[in-house]
Amino acid sequence: MSNEKIVEIRKLSKTIGNKQIIKNLNLDLHKGEITGFLGPNGAGKTTTIRMMVGLMKPTSGDILISGKSIRTDFEDSIEKVGVIVENPEMYKFMSGYKNLVHFARMHKGVTKARIDEVIQQVGMQNRIKEKVGSYSLGMRQRLGLAQALLNNPEFLILDEPTNGLDPAGIREFRMYLRKVARENDVAIFVSSHLLSEIELLCDRIAIIQNGELIDIKNVNEHQQSRYYIEAKPSAQAKQVLEEIGFTVQPHENGYLIDTEPEHIPGAIKLLTAAGVDLYVVQPHRTTLEDQFLEMTGGGEIAQAHTK
Amino acid sequence: MLKLIQNEWMKLWSKKASWIMAGLLIAILFANAGITKWIGSTSPAPETEWQEMETMNLASAEDQLQNPDIGPAQQDYYEGQAAIAEYRLANDAAPFKTESLQQQLLDGHMMLSLVTLFTVIVGAGIVASEFSQGTIKMLLTRPVKRWKILTSKYITTMLFALLFVILTFGSIALFSWIFFGVGDGAFLVWNGSEVVEGSYWVEALKLSVLSLASTWMIGTFAFMLGTVFRSSSLAIGVSIFLMFVGVQLVFLLQRFEIVKYYLFTHTDLTQFYTGFMPIPDITMAMSLTVLTVYFLVFMVISYWTFSKRDVTA
Repeated sequence: MSNEKIVEIRKLSKTIGNKQIIKNLNLDLHKGEITGFLGPNGAGKTTTIRMMVGLMKPTSGDILISGKSIRTDFEDSIEKVGVIVENPEMYKFMSGYKNLVHFARMHKGVTKARIDEVIQQVGMQNRIKEKVGSYSLGMRQRLGLAQALLNNPEFLILDEPTNGLDPAGIREFRMYLRKVARENDVAIFVSSHLLSEIELLCDRIAIIQNGELIDIKNVNEHQQSRYYIEAKPSAQAKQVLEEIGFTVQPHENGYLIDTEPEHIPGAIKLLTAAGVDLYVVQPHRTTLEDQFLEMTGGGEIAQAHTK
Repeated sequence: MLKLIQNEWMKLWSKKASWIMAGLLIAILFANAGITKWIGSTSPAPETEWQEMETMNLASAEDQLQNPDIGPAQQDYYEGQAAIAEYRLANDAAPFKTESLQQQLLDGHMMLSLVTLFTVIVGAGIVASEFSQGTIKMLLTRPVKRWKILTSKYITTMLFALLFVILTFGSIALFSWIFFGVGDGAFLVWNGSEVVEGSYWVEALKLSVLSLASTWMIGTFAFMLGTVFRSSSLAIGVSIFLMFVGVQLVFLLQRFEIVKYYLFTHTDLTQFYTGFMPIPDITMAMSLTVLTVYFLVFMVISYWTFSKRDVTA
């Protein structure tokens, strides 16, 4: 994974009416990295993304793509960007192929061969001549991806790309994105309010709340290893653990201890020797959801696929 | 820019509505020619001799010339009419009959209000539909500046109007040739000092170009409304309403000075050559100036809102 900067967001602010939607946002995106953009509804994800693709004008600050300003050098800065903003709305009265020809004409140097290549890439060769109106949502999503890939983008930006897709569709879409990121070494920036999706897809996560970037973290960052222990009588268990020297935190019906796996068998022996009955000993992982809720203080986050 | 226009043209003709409009236009013109033929063949009384008509024309033109209220353009027109009528009677030069290819082409410019109607529908929808379909997001996230996109849409609307004008005259020529054939007669013009023979198709072309000013202005107005309000039904409604009511308002405003700066006083440029002028003391130069100013205002509003707008839909 190269660490070349492709996008720089600098002191980005947006005020609509007298409400400041985005407050002084700074963020860098790197080649070959998938960055998730996470936040509660209304936090400013869509506004930020719309400013990044030229649909909205920043009140102040700037966005540089490949070093070119989106405000003063729009055509050059957006030349190598692929965009899917929410559901990709296509011209329903035209065939998928004509839609692609239409968008290809708006870029420099997208040849007919490239169009065919992209169609192959998203696996749409069988139905590309049919009208978009007859496509399923999943197929439209694929066509949306195809149009975003036409210009060989170095930077792909996706706003809620899986809205309205069923779990199978989401999975399929995720696979395509991964493939594209790997094969073409593009930077991908994807906003979503679906935590599980971001967790599965992204290398890095930027979290926004009330228009402010509150955290940027890597998804597979080494976490402090933790164990959850449930035993009875619990007061005695706590005493034993503290005697060994662990910091003990109450959690649900038992305790959490911070320790490496090699200390666990010893601890179990000591607990058993002290006459404590063990019910549960298991590694404890905080999920992204827990972290997210912790950071944003709960809030109106939509839970993924709770239905 | 050519590619953008190509895109717009492709989208326009991928819609069924465009083909329906073209079909409708041809059908109406066919019906019009057919009905004219039918009335001509069933009317029991033989037609009035053309000499009789010309005598009446002469009398009414002379009558008009006595009227102190007519403007300079009308004065010229009626002098010309009187001279032509005199010439026809003196030299036994018959005019074209209504039921002839030539006269149908000369009157063809009156059919251009149909083109205006269809241009309004296309112009109102060409920007608004991108918003209502949500495709505007896909369109504006390309490495193309917004003013270029809007320009391609405007040019496409005007090309559509032009194509329909050609279609109108093509259909009129074809259908009147089928129904009436080429008639006998002479086309005469008054060049200011004498009556000479003129070319009827040059005259037809001149009148239709002048009529197009109205198509152009109302089309541009609809385009602006569609761009500003992003609703094609609103833009079509208001434009068509104004197309009919706007001209009537000229008569209501007749007594006020403001009428001279009112758009619809000037949209019909053929008025300088057909003698019918609600406001007699305007001139062609004045009309062209007023139309240009309105055009610029419409364009500035369209471009300004389109390039400043935050797309949130």
